[in-house]
Amino acid sequence: MKSRMDSRTSRSGVSIAITAGLLLAAGVAIAVAPTEETMGVAQRILYIHVSVAWLGLTGFLVMAGCAVAYLFRRNLGWDHWAQSAGELGWVCCTLTLITGSLWARAAWGTWWTWEPRLLTAFILWALYSGYLLIRGLIGDSHHRARLSAVVAILGALDVPLVVMATRWFRGIHPVAPSMEPSMRIALLLSVAALTSLFAILFACRRTQIRIEHLMPQLENQIDRSLNSTARPSPTTMSHV
Amino acid sequence: MTTGLWWMMSKDLLCEISGKRSWPSMMLLGIVVAVVFALQAQLPQEQRNQMCGVLLWVTILFAGLLGIDRSCSSEQDDGCWEALLAYPVSPAAVYWSKLLVNVLSLTLLEILLIPAFGTFAGVRILNPIAAIVPLTFAANFGIAALGTLLSALTNRLGLSGQLLAVLVLPLMIPVILAAAEGTRLIALGRIDEEWWRWFQFLIGFALIFVTVGSILFEFVVEE
Repeated sequence: MKSRMDSRTSRSGVSIAITAGLLLAAGVAIAVAPTEETMGVAQRILYIHVSVAWLGLTGFLVMAGCAVAYLFRRNLGWDHWAQSAGELGWVCCTLTLITGSLWARAAWGTWWTWEPRLLTAFILWALYSGYLLIRGLIGDSHHRARLSAVVAILGALDVPLVVMATRWFRGIHPVAPSMEPSMRIALLLSVAALTSLFAILFACRRTQIRIEHLMPQLENQIDRSLNSTARPSPTTMSHV
Repeated sequence: MTTGLWWMMSKDLLCEISGKRSWPSMMLLGIVVAVVFALQAQLPQEQRNQMCGVLLWVTILFAGLLGIDRSCSSEQDDGCWEALLAYPVSPAAVYWSKLLVNVLSLTLLEILLIPAFGTFAGVRILNPIAAIVPLTFAANFGIAALGTLLSALTNRLGLSGQLLAVLVLPLMIPVILAAAEGTRLIALGRIDEEWWRWFQFLIGFALIFVTVGSILFEFVVEE
């Protein structure tokens, strides 16, 4: 009883800490970091854009790491971690494309242009979508885990391409723009706060997937025990 | 392993030659798409040279996917996969046999398609031949390495065709772009450092995906 109370208290503590971190990051990005001269207020999109882009890439690497672990261990727990990372990574990747598009409109005057970083980010999004599509098509847990692991590993090979796209190929996407120190602090805070949020959501979603996986087994067990208690015993029959 | 590989390749080639399952349709689709693209590209010479690479490689990809998909879907009937895996060679050897047959299919397609496309579109992509041949060869290995693995995967799911396209196209974009850029530079007569960089990228891509494919194929085909 006491340990359950402790766990609940520590969970609330983590939630409060993450909320405080997000509010602090938002406050620093809006109130402390200066407004950029050329782009104006629109430049503040960068604080979210860079954070979700980093999480989109990390999500894919985590997913591929869990996929490799599943292929070697054949433990469905690893597949649940991979699915959790895949779903959250897809959300982050979608947000990267949306915030990037908003930023591009302000910076380049267009919602979308075909340049290496944008193209490779779009490929990453398509791969996440393909991964989730595959998962939805297979019923058997181990079959699904094995084939989706292969897709995750293949897709992870795209990650270095996304990271290095601005260095290997000529494009207009900024590589590592110079910033005011306060801007840099705001960016680091946003990355840290959103990474913590990602981590907690990652763990929560994994627990949810595990429960979803255990639910049918539990229902079967309940059905079986109900059937065995409902069936009249020979002695009862004789009484009747 | 070499003998086993050779026997499995012979089996696939004999099936193709006797049954004519995918090569004729692949060639026909390639020629039709090339003609349609070439007709649409009624542009000044400079712009045609700039566009020819991407049009050619999109044609090769669409036509090539027909053959690549067939290479594994033909094993679905009558327990052919099970029989193939019972053969005393490693799954990597099965992968290599399918891969090499797919590379051969793509090469045959290109022998027909590249001169035809060059003629229809009025671009000089065969000159110098020493540039286009290694470029196509490296690109073929990249396309076949990925295509073979994903074709096996989608066929194991019983969902070839639509799912193959969904998975293959995003993964193929880098190899198609690199091959298209290399071909564009050939059409512009620029076999320079930039062309060399794209060629190296294609070789790297092919090496990575052939290695990864050889390792992962086992997990795709296992029961």
